[in-house]
Amino acid sequence: MVILYALCAAAILLGIRWMSSPETAVRGNLTGASAVLVAVVAVLIAEGLLSAVHLWMALLIGSAIGLFFGRTMPIIAMPQFVAMLNGLGGAASAFIALVVLFGREGGAVSNWALWAASLALLVGGLTLSGSLVAAGKLSARLTQRPVVLPFHQVWVTLTALLGVALLVITSLQTSTLAVLALVAVALLFGVLFTVPIGGADMPVTISLLNSFSGLAGAIAGFSVNNLLVVAAGGIVGAAGLILTQIMCRGMNRNLAQILTGKTTSAASPDSGQRSRTGQSASLASAVSVLNEARSVIIVPGYGMAVSQAQEQVKELIDLLASEGCDVRVAIHPVAGRMPGHMNVLLAEVDVPYDRLFALEQINDAFADTDVVVIVGANDVVNPAALRAKGTAIYGMPILNAHEAQHVIVCNFDTNPGYAGVDNTLYEEPNCSLLLGDAKKTLNAMLRQLREHSGDESLDPRILAEVASKLAHAKNVVIVPGYGMAVAQAQQEVKRLMELLEDLGCRVRIAIHPVAGRMPGHMNVLLAEVDVPYSKLFALEQINDAFSEVDVSIIVGANDVVNPAALDAKGTAIYGMPILNVHQSRSVVICNFDTNPGYSGVPNPLYDDDKALLLLGDARSTLKQLNEYVSELETSQAPAE
Amino acid sequence: MQFLVLLVVLAVAAWLGYRAISEVPSLLHTPLMSGMNALSGITVVGALVAAGAAVAWGHSLLGLIAVVLAAVNVVGGFVVTHRMLKMFRSGRGGS
Repeated sequence: MVILYALCAAAILLGIRWMSSPETAVRGNLTGASAVLVAVVAVLIAEGLLSAVHLWMALLIGSAIGLFFGRTMPIIAMPQFVAMLNGLGGAASAFIALVVLFGREGGAVSNWALWAASLALLVGGLTLSGSLVAAGKLSARLTQRPVVLPFHQVWVTLTALLGVALLVITSLQTSTLAVLALVAVALLFGVLFTVPIGGADMPVTISLLNSFSGLAGAIAGFSVNNLLVVAAGGIVGAAGLILTQIMCRGMNRNLAQILTGKTTSAASPDSGQRSRTGQSASLASAVSVLNEARSVIIVPGYGMAVSQAQEQVKELIDLLASEGCDVRVAIHPVAGRMPGHMNVLLAEVDVPYDRLFALEQINDAFADTDVVVIVGANDVVNPAALRAKGTAIYGMPILNAHEAQHVIVCNFDTNPGYAGVDNTLYEEPNCSLLLGDAKKTLNAMLRQLREHSGDESLDPRILAEVASKLAHAKNVVIVPGYGMAVAQAQQEVKRLMELLEDLGCRVRIAIHPVAGRMPGHMNVLLAEVDVPYSKLFALEQINDAFSEVDVSIIVGANDVVNPAALDAKGTAIYGMPILNVHQSRSVVICNFDTNPGYSGVPNPLYDDDKALLLLGDARSTLKQLNEYVSELETSQAPAE
Repeated sequence: MQFLVLLVVLAVAAWLGYRAISEVPSLLHTPLMSGMNALSGITVVGALVAAGAAVAWGHSLLGLIAVVLAAVNVVGGFVVTHRMLKMFRSGRGGS
């Protein structure tokens, strides 16, 4: 058996060696899978379990579920899927540990096996809950922002100490209560340790959890005294550790900073232009007001529930937020028909609760807000409550929506609300009324907003300049970043490559180790659209070549090409390895905007003379650029 | 098998793994991660041993849950890794 296990372990290592080249990687993966299969069959034979029907059933069920999700999971959802798998690995180890801990009476379990089981329970449990939080963040079901509780580090430390204490207890004596407490503490610790990590730090987290799942497996292997499980767990733990190191280095951070959530930069929204107070009641003006808004507060009321418009509200939030607008939802304590009604409805459609604010939290903010969108709320925003003495509504606390620069009211009609008092807000000069069913109104609004952002036509002069630069280029490098993934622009990147290659140009893609949200994110996205990997180059392979490059095209990448990393001492980015895009003869930047990236350090490349900026959604930008480039092709072809 | 032996196995495996994995290019980091992930499901072997050895009904159930979870991990991980790796195609050969 030992020899067989050793052979399996060797096969796994061989598989990993084959993983080092894309040509043999498929074989490597199959080798690893086969090794596990052989090990499973071998262990069933060796332990005399071939006739144990329940084990076969469990294997079959698990495999069927795995097969189903493995086949159907879209590649876009891969980060959260990998996080989920990490969690399952951790959970499996924790359950093994439970069997060992609970079954100690029956068999002769050695002392160190009990210690190992307790430890496996702790590590496995925190891997599970940590991975669930990570998956939630990656799929945007949970907030991307770091959630740091008051005294967060204190809680983390206390939980860790409690975990260790419980670990000692469960190892030394049989106590069901202590085991269950250990499970609870482990799960709590996993959550505490992942919530402060911001969305953009996920590559590190997911790698670290990968390492933990391996570690949990290895420790569980100790508890059941199985050589192969220990060996494989060790390998996985090492793999996760390497990836964690690479990611940290790539982001110029240390693990401690990331784990404590000290990485989010203060976004500095220019207090800038106030939107003008357009007073037309038409949808078009409402849309243009929204387009210019930097801050928006949405006020839902019972009318939202009636017309079932919460899905549209969520879309509006997402759309505005994706354009860099600060969007909050203000919820009056009595909005709707039960306490917390609006919160439930919005939670159901996955609006993160950190966007929802209670009256006392947000009421002072209305005066500094560009636009308030009221969706089916009436009395709760009626300023008559402040002034109209003697009316039924006087004295009721209201949301100060009327203090905002502009108010858009999406109510069914202008009839008074439940209080029976006319809403004086409707007569305010800064108020636009969009009457009718809230769902229909919002749908129309969303459509126009999307069109607006969709055909944000780029300056044709700049596009033409870019196209002419590309027409004369012999050597082009494309640098994709997370913005490409967000805009789903990979298909357009591929088209641009093909067009340029048809013009006789050499096109390479330069990939920074931490571009995207997980290790190798860009590579996967580009492979999915059939970009051959021979065109993809890692930082160290291509960085010396930039001085020979005619045009570098940046697609949604920022920090990874920020030359401030080379000279701006004292900034967060200083010392981070970057792609030397600034050395190429000209640079085309297809980013969403010129805001600083995750590091919070402005990118001097934007102000460089050789940089041409095509700002906006990368997919739309590249589509337009591709049209220009394809025309080049047709006009040049006859000349040749 | 003794504790020390396992400890040595762990150290050697981690070291060999570290060496081998360092060779994997960043191109393949995602499939590497999901593949390693699948590999961590080798705990299915441990789960089988534990579930098979369990005497009481309740312990056996815990063991079976471990088997199911680990099996999802192994199969799901390897399948999705396979799918991703198949997408990487070379410009020279071309398929």
